[in-house]
Amino acid sequence: MLRYILKRILLFIPTLIIITLLGFIISINAPGDPVERMVSAAQSGGEIGTQSVSQVQDKIFWRKKLGLDLPVFYFSLTSLSRPDTLYRIYDRSEREALDRLISRYGNWEQIQQYEKDLVSFYNSLIAFTPDSSQLQQYNKNTIREHMNWLKSESLTLRSSYEENIIAAKLNKISGILSQYPFLASFRPAFSQVKNDYENIKSTASAWKNYIPRLAFYKTQNQYHRWLFGDGEFSQGLIRLDFGTSYTTKQPVSDVIFSRIGWSMFFAMLSVLLAYLISIPLGVKAAAKRGSRFDKYSSLILFMLYSMPSFWLATLLLMTFANTDVLHWLPASGVKPPMGYPDEAGFFDKVRLSLPYLILPAICYTYSSFAFLSRTMRVSMIDTIGLDYIRTARAKGLPEDKVIWKHAFRNSLLPIITVFANIFPAAIGGSVIIESIFTIPGMGYETFLGIQNNNYPMIIAVFTITGFLTLVGYLVSDVLYALVDPRISYK
Amino acid sequence: MMKESEAHTEKDAAGMKNHFSFQKYAWAQFRKNKPAFYSYRILIFLVALAILAPFIATDQPLYCKYKGVHMFPAFSPSNNCEVKDPQTGKVENIQYDIADWKRMDAENIVFAPVPYTPQKTDIDNSGYVAPGDKQFFTTKNGEQVELPARFRHWLGTNKGGEDVLSGLINGTRVSLSIGILSMGIASVMGLLLGAMAGYFGDKKLQTTRGAFWTFMIGIVFAWYYGFSVRSYAIADGFATSSAAMIGQLLLSVFIFALVAFLFLLLGRLAGKIPFLSRRVFIPVDSIVSRSIEILMSMPILILIISIAAIAKEKSILNIMVIIGLTGWTPIARLTRAEFLRVSNLEYIQAAKSMGFKEFRIIFKHALPNAIAPALVAIAFGVASAILIESSLSFLGVGVPPSTVTWGSLLNGGREQFSAWWLVIFPGLAIFITVTIYNLLGEGLRDALDPRLKR
Repeated sequence: MLRYILKRILLFIPTLIIITLLGFIISINAPGDPVERMVSAAQSGGEIGTQSVSQVQDKIFWRKKLGLDLPVFYFSLTSLSRPDTLYRIYDRSEREALDRLISRYGNWEQIQQYEKDLVSFYNSLIAFTPDSSQLQQYNKNTIREHMNWLKSESLTLRSSYEENIIAAKLNKISGILSQYPFLASFRPAFSQVKNDYENIKSTASAWKNYIPRLAFYKTQNQYHRWLFGDGEFSQGLIRLDFGTSYTTKQPVSDVIFSRIGWSMFFAMLSVLLAYLISIPLGVKAAAKRGSRFDKYSSLILFMLYSMPSFWLATLLLMTFANTDVLHWLPASGVKPPMGYPDEAGFFDKVRLSLPYLILPAICYTYSSFAFLSRTMRVSMIDTIGLDYIRTARAKGLPEDKVIWKHAFRNSLLPIITVFANIFPAAIGGSVIIESIFTIPGMGYETFLGIQNNNYPMIIAVFTITGFLTLVGYLVSDVLYALVDPRISYK
Repeated sequence: MMKESEAHTEKDAAGMKNHFSFQKYAWAQFRKNKPAFYSYRILIFLVALAILAPFIATDQPLYCKYKGVHMFPAFSPSNNCEVKDPQTGKVENIQYDIADWKRMDAENIVFAPVPYTPQKTDIDNSGYVAPGDKQFFTTKNGEQVELPARFRHWLGTNKGGEDVLSGLINGTRVSLSIGILSMGIASVMGLLLGAMAGYFGDKKLQTTRGAFWTFMIGIVFAWYYGFSVRSYAIADGFATSSAAMIGQLLLSVFIFALVAFLFLLLGRLAGKIPFLSRRVFIPVDSIVSRSIEILMSMPILILIISIAAIAKEKSILNIMVIIGLTGWTPIARLTRAEFLRVSNLEYIQAAKSMGFKEFRIIFKHALPNAIAPALVAIAFGVASAILIESSLSFLGVGVPPSTVTWGSLLNGGREQFSAWWLVIFPGLAIFITVTIYNLLGEGLRDALDPRLKR
């Protein structure tokens, strides 16, 4: 048995790797640049190009902290034309623009030169401060206006890749530059950029794009860092560090561990309640097969089984938490809005929270209980049809004893296996119910994460739920072996 | 002698008359199952409703005669019509989708049964008008009168004054197409993989070492030329239109298949080289079973939500595809089990001994006898696909706000609990559809597999 469990745990590893890979693939494909959002949310506004030094440093810091300055994976399938180091360009749109240029022209050296000169041209624009003679000659606003114009054009040029757009922007910049003599100092740098661009076009080697190449990055990559940490900012998934939340900048694991309690509580409660109700119900329906009780309970269970949980939740809220109908229960949360009073003991807390728990508990429980009852009924009917039950009846045993003592135990087996299905469903399905009732659990946190594009949170929940599902399967297999002596795992 | 041969022919005739066919038997069994049979009828009704929805619930009239010109706005593929006034000679351009049909001086006009388009506001009745409330209509002269019964919002309106009944009827399309498309993908994958796993097992599909490795390398190349090289073309296709998207994807798939096929041919050659010609077994069953296990231990709902949330273009199509790609496991599992049973039967052995191609044996001989459990799983799968889609649109994840679905209608009722009609009717629609599919699944199970009947 122990060996079997060990073997199963070893088999967890490939599954877990695939789950983490999937989660990782999803998170790196997420739209938007998290660093841009995290930094610009803190300080916004200002002139074009006037990113303060602290802001730039902030960005570099967060990029490092989130590991975004690393290549994505251990290796990548790329082309002969692409350099290994493209990931070092921070800005997503700039990186994409360069990559698209490569995919059109295929000559990285020329493209790199172009980008280098363009950046230095842009930096010289940023560094420009008009001297006194220029200020005397021109209106201060004219200077500022034209400089801003140039800055924005060249900044957008850095993330442009379409041929006609680049040409239009180059023309526009040279138009502005030729207008005023005070801009003359930028002309050589700009003609360099223009030359570079012409150079790209004339030396194009697009064929290089069609030759595949594998690039290896060793362990210095985002996935490895996410799994094992880098010893500086991240501890890695294996030490339960799920990264940093994009919205609050807190560690995700802190948020998860403060939230997982309610989710687990409801999952446990619902599984417990479902078993408590469904077992007697299923047994009774099976024992009186074909009776009115059997028919009606089957019908009701079937309807409950098909009922969408979010509909039931909304209906319950509409009826029992509605000031117009019956305002018996609160609509959202798990405890009074003011929190518990200071002197409240454990039982006071339970008493205060109880009204909040009733409706969610119903919604969590009903679908699994309908499913369980149906399974229980079918399995009981199967067992009653067996020979040894006929023998027991023939002996003259009272029906109660036949059912509860002889048939009941054997019909429990299928009920145990479905434990593996119910437990993860209780956690995964909680996204909907928790969002409806605003229960501060993992599901609600996932929902918020989706709304705010907070991918570390979503992926953490995905990974944890996947892990718990695996554990659920293992537990039910072990239970099955414990209950049924015919099954042995060797 | 005579008598005997007569008896024979009689017997044969009787045999012909009661020619036993499993299809007929299953259909008779299915008809006997009242709930399943009624569900089947309701499903046909829903399909008809979904197909006809653009003509049943639209504010464009079915027929309109205006200044002597006959128009069929609801049926017409073009969106406008020029009407010349016979007296003044002034030309009026009528745009079908924005014309104010209800206030038009038409000589003759026939409206659709539900004369409202979903997501079009009725300003007179905005702000949650209940089905039983007094509903208003502003005439051309600016008078406010009670809405005539023909134009009533029979199921009320939502916050923006959009007709709920019209939304429900048009939402039928989304729900049914979710079922068809997602389970279409899932059944193709599930049947194919399940059949291969069950039929070949781990020890039956063999090839040469050279062919195997050439093909594996070929897959990498095929991926490279089909998708990696074309990644920006595909991305641009996604950004322009759904037709461009599908076109680009099909082109990529074509290139992928072409390159893979080339390497397959190359592999045949490679298999002739001495060292590479050793026979190896492809463990189809292990590969498929492991994949099923892995996919089944994944939190599918969270997976679907997160994939739907990263998609740049929010579209119902994405959700259908994701549900399909993750929902094939039950079908594959059941098909695999059936194929394990069927492939050991005598008639398959006979087919093999006659030298039929494996492809033919699998699809022509084994599949018809192994498909029954998969059909049941597909029916249940449709029910759960509809549930998943409606939960996602209820949460507002991955579904564009421009699409009216039952889930998004229900979501409108969450903001205002006093608008009970926004909760009851869409919820009922989802509930009924899911129940129908579940009942159909049960009915199919009982009809197709008499052993399972309880």
